[in-house]
Amino acid sequence: MKTNLFQYVPGNSVIHRMNPVTKILLTIVICVAAFLSGNLFYLAGLLVVDLLIGIIAGVAGKTWTIFKGLLKIAIFLFVLQILLVRNGTPVLWIITDEGLLTAARVVIRLVVVCMPLALVLAVTRVTDLTNSLVQVLHVPYQYAFTLSTAIRFVPQFLEEMAGIMEAQTARGVAFDKARGLKKFSMILPLCAPLLISSVRRTDQTAAAAEVRGFRLRTRTSGYKKYPFTAVDLGAVLFCALLLAGAILLK
Amino acid sequence: MIVFQDLSFTYKGEKQPALQEVCLTVPDGGFLGVIGPAGAGKTTLARAISGMIPHHYSGDYYGSVTVNGLDTVETSLDEISQLVGMVFQDVDSQIISPMVEDEMLYGLENFGVPREEIPGRVEDALEKVGIADLRDRTIGSLSGGQRQKVAIASILALKPRILVLDEPTGELDPRSSRQVFSLLKELNEEQGITVILIEQKIMLLCEFARQLAVLNGGRVIFQGETREVLAHSDELQALGVNCPRVTTLSSILSEKTGEKQPACINLDEAEAMVRRLIP
Amino acid sequence: MIQAEHVSFSYSDQGPTVQDVSFHIEKGDFVAILGANGAGKTTTVRLIDGLIRPTQGKVLIHGADTATSPVSERARRVGFLFQNPDRQICKNTVREEILFGLKTVRGDESEEALNARCEEVLKDFGFSGDEEPFSLSRGQRQRVALASILAVEPEVLILDEPTTGLDYLECCHIMDRIRRMNREQQVTVVMVCHDMEVVLDYAQRALVMAGGKLLADGPVREIFRDAELMEKASILPPQMIGLSLRLGEGFEQADTPDAMAEAVLARRGEGGKRHEN
Repeated sequence: MKTNLFQYVPGNSVIHRMNPVTKILLTIVICVAAFLSGNLFYLAGLLVVDLLIGIIAGVAGKTWTIFKGLLKIAIFLFVLQILLVRNGTPVLWIITDEGLLTAARVVIRLVVVCMPLALVLAVTRVTDLTNSLVQVLHVPYQYAFTLSTAIRFVPQFLEEMAGIMEAQTARGVAFDKARGLKKFSMILPLCAPLLISSVRRTDQTAAAAEVRGFRLRTRTSGYKKYPFTAVDLGAVLFCALLLAGAILLK
Repeated sequence: MIVFQDLSFTYKGEKQPALQEVCLTVPDGGFLGVIGPAGAGKTTLARAISGMIPHHYSGDYYGSVTVNGLDTVETSLDEISQLVGMVFQDVDSQIISPMVEDEMLYGLENFGVPREEIPGRVEDALEKVGIADLRDRTIGSLSGGQRQKVAIASILALKPRILVLDEPTGELDPRSSRQVFSLLKELNEEQGITVILIEQKIMLLCEFARQLAVLNGGRVIFQGETREVLAHSDELQALGVNCPRVTTLSSILSEKTGEKQPACINLDEAEAMVRRLIP
Repeated sequence: MIQAEHVSFSYSDQGPTVQDVSFHIEKGDFVAILGANGAGKTTTVRLIDGLIRPTQGKVLIHGADTATSPVSERARRVGFLFQNPDRQICKNTVREEILFGLKTVRGDESEEALNARCEEVLKDFGFSGDEEPFSLSRGQRQRVALASILAVEPEVLILDEPTTGLDYLECCHIMDRIRRMNREQQVTVVMVCHDMEVVLDYAQRALVMAGGKLLADGPVREIFRDAELMEKASILPPQMIGLSLRLGEGFEQADTPDAMAEAVLARRGEGGKRHEN
């Protein structure tokens, strides 16, 4: 009913079909590239790449939502930066050219880096992500399981939170009239029971995994295999291109 | 065969024992219904059969439980769990994958079921529970009842010899609950799978289970063939265990007509009884 | 007092879950909403309290459109008991929990008055007040949730599967208490419930839903005796009604085991032969 921001969106795009490991590689490369290069044009180019990936994957709407969310944080950081940086020549009031540049770099980097991190979960099943980590990269299964449980936990937690807010609103707690920080401070005291029930649940989830052979699982247990295909080769080449660009356009 | 011999168990950190001197036998191919008020030890009983006690939950453990001849203390949890499938009361903690299909695959992969067998088993289990259309959905998009069916299907796919279900129909409406009970009956009768079913839905339980065990305060108060146990309907009601209305009717009529009426467990029997009584 | 006028509701990504539903509920009614999973029952009760807003039509409580005022302001008049009490309970003792509810909606009253009311409710429900909710059983926690809602003396009580996961005794405790409120204080009750025996025992009127539409609205016994309707709504009637339908003439009124036994004995003539020994 509520579409969760980080929840998987089924699809059959090129991005969906890519090997999960390649998707992780692409994410990491975008992050690294964003920090290697300080060139504003190059960074803007990376941002376009981020948005294009979202559009190709057929999750344009979600990409836009993530982008808008990040933009709010970005604007806040931008203002903070231009007020804090003292070097360079003043342009207007206490704002310097150096400050503007640094601020622009910081916020574009932030958006560029966060977008693929969020997108990768929207276009990859968590199970594929962890299974491929185990199969291809030989990550111990216990770690991969912890990761997937943590991710699985997010929508569960949000569902529970929405349920609690609804129940409290119905008994007269004015959640429906509060906004922003006020709302946040109202939710906080309610988190105690939420945490108790979550911890109780985690233990049971561990038990549920155990009685279905958690300990028997090996690297090769996964039913689905994750071969590398031409799409992945293309993506790797694209990654190399991005890195080269970052180094050239320092 | 499952045999409890004087099992007493107290969870670590608790003062009250959850089970006390439980003696219980479930024959191979049996269908045992377990009823009792909240806190009677029903879930603990299920955990003891599935080996989660003592392997996952520790505490003071006296007596023994053997499952098909294996002592659950000495046998590893992995070995027991290939024999015993367990459906939890809280579906949300049982389901560990974010997608229906992955949840179906999880146990199959771990237990090393041959690759070529896997697709058939997944399809079969989904089909049996009637949720083939949910295969590619995310768990988050399902209703409570649908999640419950996924949990059941994921266990059925493992083809356990023994099925333990802890209130598996809590989120289901009467019709879907009946479907689940019928499915269990079918598995029990056609494949000889032993079923241990914990339920509050007494009417369905009495209609489908062949044996009943009544728990109260960690002890088994009654056990035996369903009809024999239901013959104690007055005592059961004193314990706070409800009886099906048809059983109450047969017990009232026994008293009022002065002729002993066998305890009724379903509508057909009740109808036959009434028709016998009225000329 | 509750009027639903051509109410429809759909989630943005799905088809309608409630479609053109209209009904009136009078003060003191005890109404059960029946139907299979996915029939739109829970959506309907959430619409009544305004937890979700109709995409079409409107819901009026005391003539006021619920879409125009916040849910939290309605809590004084409308209590909502959810299936899961743990979402409601947020304090460390039962007393604090009940006081929290009271202060939230009756904050304009004096501290002493609220304390007195709280003690009254504690006594009525048989709580000492110092119990920690999370060490209680599920059924007891549901009673804590009910106590804190009834403490504020709402005029309408909405119940969404209040007895799921409870054993028989706990179920009776909760339902008996609700019936008392309904009878003694004319509290209007609207309940979603899957247990038809509970519905037969407690509710007076039933709304039957299927596929988001309202199929029927009438007295519980009449509804259950309508075999065609029950089939359409995928509902299995309570056992005694099912039996009386099979037995036909002379058993129409036999909807409890006692009444059924009476009817059987009456048919045997002279109230049956009694063996005194």
